[in-house]
Amino acid sequence: MTSATFNLKPQTSNILWRIVDLIVGGIFIYAGALKMFDPVRFASDIDNYKILPWTIGVALAFYVPWLEIFCGIALVLRFLYRGGLSILTALVLVFTLATVAAKVRGLDITCGCFGHASQHWSFPAHIATNLAILAALLALCFQAAAKRKAAH
Amino acid sequence: MKSALVCQTLVLAALALVPGIGEALYFHDKISWRSSIPASEMVSVEQARAWGDSAIWVDARPDEDFAHDHVPGAFSLNEDRWNALLPQFLAAWSPSKKVVVYCSSLNCNASREVARRLRDEAQLKNVFVLEGGWEEWLKKK
Repeated sequence: MTSATFNLKPQTSNILWRIVDLIVGGIFIYAGALKMFDPVRFASDIDNYKILPWTIGVALAFYVPWLEIFCGIALVLRFLYRGGLSILTALVLVFTLATVAAKVRGLDITCGCFGHASQHWSFPAHIATNLAILAALLALCFQAAAKRKAAH
Repeated sequence: MKSALVCQTLVLAALALVPGIGEALYFHDKISWRSSIPASEMVSVEQARAWGDSAIWVDARPDEDFAHDHVPGAFSLNEDRWNALLPQFLAAWSPSKKVVVYCSSLNCNASREVARRLRDEAQLKNVFVLEGGWEEWLKKK
């Protein structure tokens, strides 16, 4: 009984982390797919932040959605997992900083995070979503690091 | 350990590059790499005013902003109620008219999107985006 209880705990914990993987990975696959189908709009959304020249914004509009999709798949399949986690964490950090910078400069920005669905998100909704995803990604990073440490 | 992480990151970054380039090639004629709006599709307040009755004004801002104030004679046409508002705009439009779309300011995106949809979906020609939008129009009122 006691041994069964001890065996159940890490297993339950693994299942829960796996669910977080699937949710976060799924979010990025969905967000990437929405933007991938409409790169022209995503280029406009990037341009609204007035941080990058238009040409670089266009290049990112073609590249970032696919990067999100591949990293999301990496999380779902647990293949190239740590690479996917690192890239997604960096991406969300950059998105969040850019959003705050735009707000500070008084820009009326459109959140391009989830294509047309997120067009009218308020600044707090935008930031709260980014921070929630960032928290989940950081938790996954720490969990992966702890698991590696335990394995060695 | 760290090199494995760098390696994974580089593999994912490179993988995403392949379809990204493919998509850029596919969309090459649908987006300009030089400017968000080609100069030929922009119009200044002075120029649009000079067009007089041959111009038809489109307000791409949300309904509340339009209700508060708008360019005299402008039609409200925003993406939130695109399907409901488009028919009444098209009823007033004629091929000889120049369409001037505006949103709130220089940084807003709505006028570009509405102009793009008018060209792509409604197949209209002579669609222009107002430089500086409503703010600029107010300044030069």
